[in-house]
Amino acid sequence: MDPQGMVMDELEVLRVRDEVLQAMYWMRSEGISERPTADELARFMAMNRSTVQPFLERFVADDLLETDGTSFTLSPKGLNDGKRTFADEMADLTKPTHGECDEDCWCHDSPEAAADCLHNKKHVSSV
Amino acid sequence: MSAPSDAPPPAALPKNFLRPCLLLLLREQPAHGYDLLERLRHFGFGREDPGRLYRALRALEGEDLVHSAWEPSGSGPDRRTYTLTRPGMEALHAAALELRTTRGILDVFLSRFSEFVALEPQLEPAPEPS
Repeated sequence: MDPQGMVMDELEVLRVRDEVLQAMYWMRSEGISERPTADELARFMAMNRSTVQPFLERFVADDLLETDGTSFTLSPKGLNDGKRTFADEMADLTKPTHGECDEDCWCHDSPEAAADCLHNKKHVSSV
Repeated sequence: MSAPSDAPPPAALPKNFLRPCLLLLLREQPAHGYDLLERLRHFGFGREDPGRLYRALRALEGEDLVHSAWEPSGSGPDRRTYTLTRPGMEALHAAALELRTTRGILDVFLSRFSEFVALEPQLEPAPEPS
């Protein structure tokens, strides 16, 4: 339930939480804004303010954000989560695919192992 | 009413022009977001919508055209540094071919227009900061 007493879809809360924390972490790291308002955040993320506002209040209640009533900043917990989820989200893209494995990968043992490796990589990437 | 300005009129940029511009800038050198925001000005983009850049970089990374990693900063927070991937280089080449075709079409348009009206000389673009 959000601070206004409305029931929020928890999966949606998790999705928006990652979006907001990552965006705020990036804005902060690039020196664009350390304390964006709800309007600035909504514009940055291409969302309506009325959509994002209840989530921001929820994240303040969850100790991920801090607010002075106008602008929002990442709490220490929000800072950690923002950086971590940003890295996690792109991690799958940076994992080696077959043929880019380390030299000691088992897939170099035989053609059959290489085929298995390729199959597994495809399977993992489609999950 | 807005004040008169000596600035050139805003450019009518090709659709999705931000994408090849980002690929080109990253082909020139790896960069972080704020640096890209500055260098995009030479292609006619303003700095008023950093969210657009952020979303474009995320999309390019999602397509494996760009890779990024946190890089420690000596004086401030870590910054996300973006580099071009091999598929990104191929996408840049394809985009350049499309833009060359577009330029040919625009040249035809301007040539035919100039039969009626001579346009004022174009301002030289500002040089890249060193």
